Amino acid sequence: MTVVTQTAQEIIEYAKQTNEPDWFTTLRLQADQAVAELALPNFQKINYRSWPINVTQRPEVNEEPIELTELATQQANIVQLGSQLLQADLPAEFKEKGVIVCDWLTALKEHADLVQKYFMTKATKPTENRLNAEHVAHLTSGLLIYVPKNVVLKQPLTSYFFQDARQSRDYVHHLLLIADRGSELSYLENTGTYGQQECPANIIEEVIAEPGSHIKFASVDRLGEHTTAYLNRRGYLEQDARIDWSMGMMNDGNIVGDFDSELVGAGSHAEVKVVAISTGQQVQGIDTRVTNYGQHSLGNILQHGVILAESSLIFNGIGHIVHGAKGAEAQQESRVLMLSTKARGDANPILLIDDNDVVAGHAASVGRVDEQKMYYLMSRGIDQATAERLVIRGFLGPVLSALPSKEVRDILAEMIERKLINGQKDE
Amino acid sequence: MATLEVKDLHVKAKEEQREILTGVNLTMSTGEIHAIMGPNGTGKSTLSESIMGNPDYEILSGDILIDGQSIVGLPVDQRARAGLFLAMQYPAEIPGITNAEFIRAAINSRRPEDDQMSIPAFLQKLDQTLTTLDMTQEMSERYLNEGFSGGEKKRNEILQLMMIEPKFAILDEIDSGLDIDALKVVSRGVNAMRGPEFGSLIITHYQRLLNYIKPDVVHVMMGGKIVKSGSADLAVKLEDEGYAGLRDELGLDVKLVDEE
Ligand SMILES: Nc1ncnc2c1ncn2[C@@H]1O[C@H](COP(=O)(O)OP(=O)(O)OP(=O)(O)O)[C@@H](O)[C@H]1O
Ligand SMILES: [Mg+2]
Repeated sequence: MTVVTQTAQEIIEYAKQTNEPDWFTTLRLQADQAVAELALPNFQKINYRSWPINVTQRPEVNEEPIELTELATQQANIVQLGSQLLQADLPAEFKEKGVIVCDWLTALKEHADLVQKYFMTKATKPTENRLNAEHVAHLTSGLLIYVPKNVVLKQPLTSYFFQDARQSRDYVHHLLLIADRGSELSYLENTGTYGQQECPANIIEEVIAEPGSHIKFASVDRLGEHTTAYLNRRGYLEQDARIDWSMGMMNDGNIVGDFDSELVGAGSHAEVKVVAISTGQQVQGIDTRVTNYGQHSLGNILQHGVILAESSLIFNGIGHIVHGAKGAEAQQESRVLMLSTKARGDANPILLIDDNDVVAGHAASVGRVDEQKMYYLMSRGIDQATAERLVIRGFLGPVLSALPSKEVRDILAEMIERKLINGQKDE
Repeated sequence: MATLEVKDLHVKAKEEQREILTGVNLTMSTGEIHAIMGPNGTGKSTLSESIMGNPDYEILSGDILIDGQSIVGLPVDQRARAGLFLAMQYPAEIPGITNAEFIRAAINSRRPEDDQMSIPAFLQKLDQTLTTLDMTQEMSERYLNEGFSGGEKKRNEILQLMMIEPKFAILDEIDSGLDIDALKVVSRGVNAMRGPEFGSLIITHYQRLLNYIKPDVVHVMMGGKIVKSGSADLAVKLEDEGYAGLRDELGLDVKLVDEE
């Protein structure tokens, strides 16, 4: 006999209200059952266990009105606030070539085949850990992107995902991005928070790269100061597929970022570039992993971060080469720069190598701003805050200049500048 | 006319006990060029860094004034904006900002918010100055001093000097590591700055530089203070006789580096 818990009842009510397909409700209920037995995911040196990160509230249809103009979005194709789709303005090329871009409920109702095939079946699993299970049980918003076979898109797709924090509510959001065989897509995502209430966010993004596909995935994450977030981005790469990740962690609250690339196919290739700025009192823990299963697969991690005031930033870099991945390569470089004596930083390289015929390497450093450089810049009249930002620019330069898109580079540079100027006010 | 005064300045390095400057007195005005010569380790760079405001040094007593106003309490960037410039013996390398961007930021840091130098005006001036210094456009587009040769860094200090147009420029061994042609180019740059609005304090070991940039006054520093001041001839005399002669003539108790 199954006991129908309160959460299960809430899920069933929500499903009725939204009219979602039964098979998805079943997935939710299974995940909810598993929650109690599952542990939180473990990330070295990232201690988040006491954070209010769990999503437990009754899933609800949120229709609190909003004017699109209140959300600062530039050149957006997709704008979502919570589960509300506020804008869907796709390039003509997307429609002509049969690309699917739709919100989560539409995906469940109209593209069940895709969701059933890919949703948490490959890149990650509902029962992988407690936060994943909570995610499936409470999921209320998301986006499906599907690029058909051999479709090469010239226009990038830009999305804005806003958490609605006007009231205290859970933000549980899913991205399922599938690039089918031989296709190419450039995607730029912006996450943010609208409103000031304390809320947890649980975001899982799956990026499925079918054989020979190439995805440029760029993100600028700016979740709010009062948001406690679990952000799980997973790439799943089939033969000769490639994902270029360019991620800017510009959040203001506490966050665990779990950025993993599963190099399943032979010759698959992931480039992971992360830039992070921590300010105020926040903690950003970033766990970046590449796992080489496929022969001759290649995973490179390059992450640089800056830590101001009393904040913390932890970079784990994990290069895992499994047995049988002959000719695989995993490289990583993690560096953090601390600007105050109260800042805390860690750059933690972890190599797990289970095969002999491979190449792996790592570099890591935790440093402070070079006083000589500061003195030199200031001796020309430049004030301390500007001089600091110039030194930081130089420090982040190697990551920024390695980003594949100039547009993304410029956007990130601007966001970095903005976050630094704000952060320097707390110094 | 502006004045720079150093009054009975005593300085030590932050982490050390020993006094390096033991009572320096010096007064100069814009329109003048002063040279300082002196044996190795006598405190010439310490004097220039102390005037500029390098936090590695601690002023024990004495004062430094611009136009009668003490600047001792000001951080380095404010001293720069008050009109000081130091061409450093070892300029830092800063990746991430180009030479040109940096120079423009430095110029604008001295100007009010509503009177920033426009990009065309800046580029025009930059072009002219690059030409005076026989420098290529490419040098101004490179990251600040990054990968520059020793001589290129020196030339770049003069480029900044000419672009920023400070009231007082201290040039610390601007001639060291320069080939003959570069020495002439750098001197040409400094001479182009000469005028009623500009004063310079030139630290050098070699009288040769002073053939190109004629000083109005030459000071000799030994044992952490200025022991003698005179006209340009003093430099010629030193070149012939060395520091030991002058020391003995003045009856000073100072040990020179090459003596046991
Ligand atoms: N930051 C410092 N920490 C410790 N000692 C210092 C520091 N700066 C200078 N000194 C010492 O003070 C003395 C004067 O040094 P300074 O560099 O001012 O000499 P200088 O006259 O410029 O010599 P040179 O002609 O070789 O450039 C030297 O003995 C030097 O070792
Ligand atoms: Mg010196």
